Amino acid sequence: MSVPALQLEGLKKSFGKAEIIRGVDLEIGRGERHAVIGPNGAGKSTLFNLITARFAPTEGKVRLHGEDLSGLQPFQINRKGLSRSFQITNIFPRMTVFENVRCALLWAQGYRYSFWNLVNRSRQLTESTDAILDQINLSERRDLPAGTLSYAEQRALEIGITIAGGADVIMLDEPTAGMSHSETDYITELILKVTEGKTLVMVEHDMGVVFNLADRISVLVYGEIIATGKPADVRGDPRVQEAYLGEALETEQ
Amino acid sequence: MTDTNVKDPARSKEQITTDPSKPAQRMGAGSMTLTLTPWLIGAVLLAILPFVFTSNSALTIMNQMWITVIFALAYNMLLGQGGMLSFGHAVYAGVGGFACMHIMNASDFFASFPLPVLPIFGGLFGMGLALIVGSFSTRSAGTVFAMISLGVGELIAASSVIVVAFFGGEEGISGDRTYAMPFFGNEFLQQIDVYYLISFWVIVSAALMYLWSRTPVGRMANAVRDNPERAEFLGYSARWVRFYSFVASGFFAGIAGGLFAINYEILTEENLNTASSGIILLVTFLGGVGFFFGPIIGAIVFTLVQTVLSLETDLWAFYAGTLFVATVMFFPGGLAGLMMMHVPAFKLGKAGYLVRPYIRTLIPAAIGTLGLCALVEMTFHVRHAATGDTQMTLFWIPFDSHAILPWVIAAAIALIGLGIARATTPALRDAWNEANTAGDRS
Repeated sequence: MSVPALQLEGLKKSFGKAEIIRGVDLEIGRGERHAVIGPNGAGKSTLFNLITARFAPTEGKVRLHGEDLSGLQPFQINRKGLSRSFQITNIFPRMTVFENVRCALLWAQGYRYSFWNLVNRSRQLTESTDAILDQINLSERRDLPAGTLSYAEQRALEIGITIAGGADVIMLDEPTAGMSHSETDYITELILKVTEGKTLVMVEHDMGVVFNLADRISVLVYGEIIATGKPADVRGDPRVQEAYLGEALETEQ
Repeated sequence: MTDTNVKDPARSKEQITTDPSKPAQRMGAGSMTLTLTPWLIGAVLLAILPFVFTSNSALTIMNQMWITVIFALAYNMLLGQGGMLSFGHAVYAGVGGFACMHIMNASDFFASFPLPVLPIFGGLFGMGLALIVGSFSTRSAGTVFAMISLGVGELIAASSVIVVAFFGGEEGISGDRTYAMPFFGNEFLQQIDVYYLISFWVIVSAALMYLWSRTPVGRMANAVRDNPERAEFLGYSARWVRFYSFVASGFFAGIAGGLFAINYEILTEENLNTASSGIILLVTFLGGVGFFFGPIIGAIVFTLVQTVLSLETDLWAFYAGTLFVATVMFFPGGLAGLMMMHVPAFKLGKAGYLVRPYIRTLIPAAIGTLGLCALVEMTFHVRHAATGDTQMTLFWIPFDSHAILPWVIAAAIALIGLGIARATTPALRDAWNEANTAGDRS
């Protein structure tokens, strides 16, 4: 088997005496769609923040395509091809939708910190930005300040910003949080479309979305992964049912 | 919002915007003429203003104005575009200016190049200092940055009396600009020559700063201002983006300092201290940090208040301060924001709806405010005029400030003026809403 896209080795995180992540080992293959589920407070978002270096792990390692990410800053990890979205919408509210996406393209297109290029002189930059806007169905909103968009549109923009740079590992933190059913279907479809051929890691509460999207599922309970496997296997695992899923499935129905 | 609402734009897109590459063309071709026009108008205005305002004092005021424009634009690279609130930005202009004074005094070197080149040295010194300070101050924005800027500003201002060799102690450093190599035979003996030198640098600096805001690093400065964390997850280090903005701002502040040196031929501790830093913050905010041209308006208005109004009254700083507080409280977008608020009404072709309500509200408000000012001036006269001096002149009317009648009249004007303004405000608000509502509300 080739090198996994993302590899977690004995990842631990404590805040003071509280152990939030208590030793997570996980391998996510290239091109896999992987969902992390678990009850509230299980540490799903913390796990995300550890992988993307928003927090430094207390112990353990994260490897991206086999490369150790210890000690790197978020922007350095992003440059290596890992991009994430946030649970709480995290866009540039005062800038236009177009500029939001364009900013996400700048580094990937090699502009770095340059002050000798003019962004609106670059046909390629404008065209790729418009292409992304088209993909996330926001072309109509192109010149509006991002902060004025509806919630679902902001979530779509958030996903657009996340995928724009062309990262091959995409991490989405609860992309459908706080959405109605129809909005959820819309975002699910969008995620399927824009992450084609990429590795997707997502935290999600909505079981419908998880079973629709994920190739494999990991169940995180109290900072430990108690099961990893295909959706059907995880659903059948008695430990999972006891800890979390049974309850969730009941409320789903 | 429903599913169809979200998806519809995509479906209807084919019908509305025809060619996806069209926006790109529009931006490429149209913006050339669109963006060049204000610059050409600006350049022409700069060129003809001395023929309109011919007096020497007008030239002095305009020179000061344009220097402040450059400084305020440089300051807004931090505040408006980068989200960095600096309380000590005068030191970058000041150090650039002091460096230029020393170059003026190094006669052999100074004689080897023409005077218009000198501000570049100011810029380089300002930039050099910004490189050093920025390396540690730009790690975070917000309070930490503000406090470091204040501390460094104070530090350098305080060292002006210690490092006498560079800052010249209390007298400062003075020099003579005319020792430079003649520039096409011009030795910049007259104010008008200096005016055109400064005008040239205003256009060049403003254009460069505008272009900077259109570069990748300039765009990312906006992104970092809005949301530093998100910017980091897009591959940009918020710290380095801030650092580059800071260094560039230091450069242009240094240019302003260099022009100050040329214009006044003296620099003192006053060019470095917190008061100067505070004024440039005030100027920038007054003009409006949200728009590129905001600081230009701020610099023009503030310089006029500072020069013209200060000839009329000792209390000009009081009025400037009141204007500033009123701006911050009621128009956080500054004067530029106030102007741009009217763009939607113009686009809808309904700006005319506003003319009458504005006249009905603003003229009484202005008269009432003048009445208030009269009360302030009279109080000041009663408290501070020499004993026995009870005669004062206000709005070309001489009267006795210790008599009752003038007080009654002033108070009545203030009350009636502001009262009318208050009574007509609801009508203005209705007109405003009407002017900003599209069509017949289909």
